[in-house]
Amino acid sequence: MEQVVNGILVVNTETIPGKIITETMGVVSGSTVRAKHLGKDIFAGLRNIVGGELTQYTELLQESRQEAVGRMVSDAMSIGATAVVNVRFATSAITSGAAELFAYGTAVKYE
Amino acid sequence: MDSPDNRIGIVAVVSLLMLSSFSIVAVAQNSDAGEGSIAWGLMLCLLPFMILALFGILWSLAYPALFIWGAAFSSGDVEKSHQDAISRRMVSREKAGKEILNTINGGYRGDVSSSGLVHANGVFGPSHWQLLIAFFNNLVGGSVTSFQQVISAGRAEVMQRLREQAEAQGWDEVINVRIDTSSMTPQSQNNKNTVRGVEIFAYGTGIRYD
Repeated sequence: MEQVVNGILVVNTETIPGKIITETMGVVSGSTVRAKHLGKDIFAGLRNIVGGELTQYTELLQESRQEAVGRMVSDAMSIGATAVVNVRFATSAITSGAAELFAYGTAVKYE
Repeated sequence: MDSPDNRIGIVAVVSLLMLSSFSIVAVAQNSDAGEGSIAWGLMLCLLPFMILALFGILWSLAYPALFIWGAAFSSGDVEKSHQDAISRRMVSREKAGKEILNTINGGYRGDVSSSGLVHANGVFGPSHWQLLIAFFNNLVGGSVTSFQQVISAGRAEVMQRLREQAEAQGWDEVINVRIDTSSMTPQSQNNKNTVRGVEIFAYGTGIRYD
């Protein structure tokens, strides 16, 4: 079972365990800026008074991060890579309403 | 006035005013229908404001109740979820026979057949009661235990989610695990009354042996 997104192997290690990297092809990245909608925001506000996990935000960020990884992968596909190694994630909250999720890594060819 | 919340508020108020003035004009044009219908029309114009007032009343009733609920149960709930994460960790450790998460990039056997990214996240926030306690803690200095509890319980929960994710996807081990903690809501002067939460995000490379 190879976990592959659209035919591209994604790992956050510098090498691919059990494989040999033959060519590096530069940095690829993908980002997404998401805002939560008002209804969820109100519910999260109510949940925040009581404390605990804010499930709406957890799901939102999970989905957005998958989207960012998907964009990074399509970037890698467009330059003809077969894997992305050393993937890092960065999160920045632009305002209280929106968060940017950014994924970047090095596109490589492996055998 | 620069924050988007304020802009949304201005747009909402302006559209409500426009809606009600248009309705008044419409009612005035149909005024030959009699006095009863004018009163009814005025009520219709005021309906948006009444709905807003209803929200205000509900909020003023609900907030103290939720605040007291949080004061009574929040720290106990945090403690309980921490214990729950620890006991689930014991279960998955017994199932795998070892701890499957490693922060080092290496230390795995040579016969790796496949690898891939695994990630898990969670957003956790202190209750308003805990914020109040933290405010008093800040006055005297020292450690802010209420926040520390929330964050460490959240981190234990997210690590456990990563373990469960790795189990579900069939990885034997997860190497190079990194944990990111980021504040979801930066505090600035424009937004004082927003949701306060910390996002904890853990990711690593799952590997599978032959």
